[in-house]
Amino acid sequence: MIPQEYFMVLGGVLFAIGAFGVLTRKNAIVVLMCIEIMLNAANINFVTFAVFSGNATGQVFALFSIAIAAAEVAVGLAILLNLQRLQDTIELQDLNTLRW
Amino acid sequence: MTFIEYTWLIPLLPIVGLLLAAAFGKRTPEGGGYFVVASVAAACALALLVAYEFFTGDGAPVFASQVWIDLGTINGTQYQFEMGYYVDYLTALLLIVVSIICTLIVVYSLGYMHEEGERKRRYYVEIALFVTGMLGMVVASNYLTAFVFWEIMGLCSYLLIGFWYYKPSAARAAKKAFLTTRIGDISFMLGIIALFGAFGTLNYHQLFDPAFTESFNVDYGLLLFAMLCFFGAAIGKSAQFPLHDWLPDAMEGPTTVSALIHAATMVNAGVYLVARSYPLMVQTPEVMIVIAAIGGFTAFFAATQALNNFNIKRVLAYSTISQLGLMFMALGCGGYIIATAGVDEHLLEVGNVGYMAGVFHLMNHAFFKGLLFLSAGAVIHAVHTEDMKKMGGLSKKLKITSLVMLIGCLAIAGIPPFSGFWSKDLVLESALSAAGVNTWFWLLYIGGVVVTFMTAFYMFRLWFMTFKGEESEAAHHAHEAPAVMWVPLAILAVAATITGLFLLGPDGGLPAVIYTVSPEGIAIPGETLGLGWIERFFTAWPTYLSLAMAVGGIGVAYLAYSKKTLSLEFFVKGSSKKVYDVVQRRYYFPEFYDFVGEKGMYGLARLVDWIDRRVVDGVVNAIAQVAVGTSGKVRRVQTGYTQTYAAVVVAAVSVILVLLYIFTGAR
Repeated sequence: MIPQEYFMVLGGVLFAIGAFGVLTRKNAIVVLMCIEIMLNAANINFVTFAVFSGNATGQVFALFSIAIAAAEVAVGLAILLNLQRLQDTIELQDLNTLRW
Repeated sequence: MTFIEYTWLIPLLPIVGLLLAAAFGKRTPEGGGYFVVASVAAACALALLVAYEFFTGDGAPVFASQVWIDLGTINGTQYQFEMGYYVDYLTALLLIVVSIICTLIVVYSLGYMHEEGERKRRYYVEIALFVTGMLGMVVASNYLTAFVFWEIMGLCSYLLIGFWYYKPSAARAAKKAFLTTRIGDISFMLGIIALFGAFGTLNYHQLFDPAFTESFNVDYGLLLFAMLCFFGAAIGKSAQFPLHDWLPDAMEGPTTVSALIHAATMVNAGVYLVARSYPLMVQTPEVMIVIAAIGGFTAFFAATQALNNFNIKRVLAYSTISQLGLMFMALGCGGYIIATAGVDEHLLEVGNVGYMAGVFHLMNHAFFKGLLFLSAGAVIHAVHTEDMKKMGGLSKKLKITSLVMLIGCLAIAGIPPFSGFWSKDLVLESALSAAGVNTWFWLLYIGGVVVTFMTAFYMFRLWFMTFKGEESEAAHHAHEAPAVMWVPLAILAVAATITGLFLLGPDGGLPAVIYTVSPEGIAIPGETLGLGWIERFFTAWPTYLSLAMAVGGIGVAYLAYSKKTLSLEFFVKGSSKKVYDVVQRRYYFPEFYDFVGEKGMYGLARLVDWIDRRVVDGVVNAIAQVAVGTSGKVRRVQTGYTQTYAAVVVAAVSVILVLLYIFTGAR
């Protein structure tokens, strides 16, 4: 059986990749995808702990998380669509009117 | 004891008249004046009954009061103030004088103010409130209540002097009177606070009881301060030097107001305050010296200004200041003797003459000055001018007025048997007695004798200029005043003739004005001379000296202004013209007031304004500026870039994780 650490490392690496993407990418859609990567990294952790502790709660939690992520993507894409319509851009460095 | 229990009603009765006049004045004749006349007359009747009952009683003060304000006990002092009445000889005497004169003046007003139209209602309302103020001040049972009524009088004097407020000079005079007397009012307030701090009570019956005051080990300096403040209040109200200059200007009001406020009652409030506080004041000889000195100086100083004034009312105003000065001089001299007498019974008796003289002169002066002012009012009513140069030869047209005014002039000049003679001689006698204790008082005596001469001169100058000489333009159209005006004049003329003779009455002559208990608690024997006063007066040389002075003054005035054989032109020309001008300009006191007002008080006000704007507002503004500035810098953190925020979140979480690892270890 593959040891638990391997899953943990996979989750951690995926999370780091996602976070790096969120902080560095300019396109808002890519940023949204990176957020999905981070969520799935968390899901991997949930499932891993569920399997190795013999408790099904983590599995259920992962399902919830996926459902909510779907909803979040729907809302996020709707916002981006409107942004494109109103501002003609979804480049994050151009969207800084909400400031001092 | 039945009427005295209703003493508290006396000041309230005019209020009834006030309310009726205010409510129905527009629909009743004379602007509701009849209501006020009736209510003041009722107050007068009650006052006379109370006074009669008191004088026929055993002479012990009658008082009653109720708790007015109770602030509880703070730091062991009970802050409780009462309101009530206190009747003793002085109160009873003042009640008689004030109520009679007020009644006569209100009746006289019916004639004098007849042509005023719509404004009459305001006049009668204000007059009624004024009468309330004076009567309330007289019957008050403690200093705080007295202060309340004192302030009411101050307000009413402002309103009444400025009665013709559309005249700029009247509005200015009203302001001046209000502000100048206000200095005295503040002084009164300070004195009350100091006195309360010393004794923890303001009730007369406690403060005037030597047994009570001696049970406190009061700091002498505090008592001195309180008494000086009280005299400061009297200076303001009674127009003594250096706060005297408002009174001549106050002649801008109607003549009845001048008579009521500035001769018969309000200015007497200051003298009354000093006489009332006598039991406390005689414990401080220094204050008594100040009172005597300021009184004597004012008497002289004001008399000189009356010498060459041509406004009939202004001359009377200066003579009022001068006569008030004489009262203070007598009170001060007598008090000084009592203060230094210790247990010497003879000296106490001598000192008491001073007190008696002051109060006696207060009474006589109120009557004859009321008479003089109202006569002047009748003259002004007839010729419609206050300038004596435009009068002259009026005696043929105004027979009654000229006669009663002559009586008033004789009374103030001090010709026996008119009232002024008796009290003025007592004043001079008290100064002479004080000179026996302290030689500096000789100055006051000599000053008093000179004042006698000047008084006789300027009063008869006024009389001759108005009624004698060739008939002037104005005299042709003059007509005698209506009965409602000359009847009060006649009554006052009778009073001015006879009030001096009260001194000769039985039961110790004038029991009303005997101050009974010395600071050591020794009862002072009253001067039970009766008719013996005549012998005492006419066997002493000072009487003849002052009599000669008075007759001399009248003689000079007669020669200069009636026969015109003596020319006083040399005062108006040459080197003495400067002196003449200085006196005419009132020793530049209005300029001095303006200087103090503009340079001193306005400068102080500007400094305070600067502190308010720059320091007080500045601190507040500076705090606001700091907040605005800091937030201006700090808000730049909000860049609007979503990824920056996210980076901060990630960085912060990382830092927290690292710290958690360091401090809690890997668990």
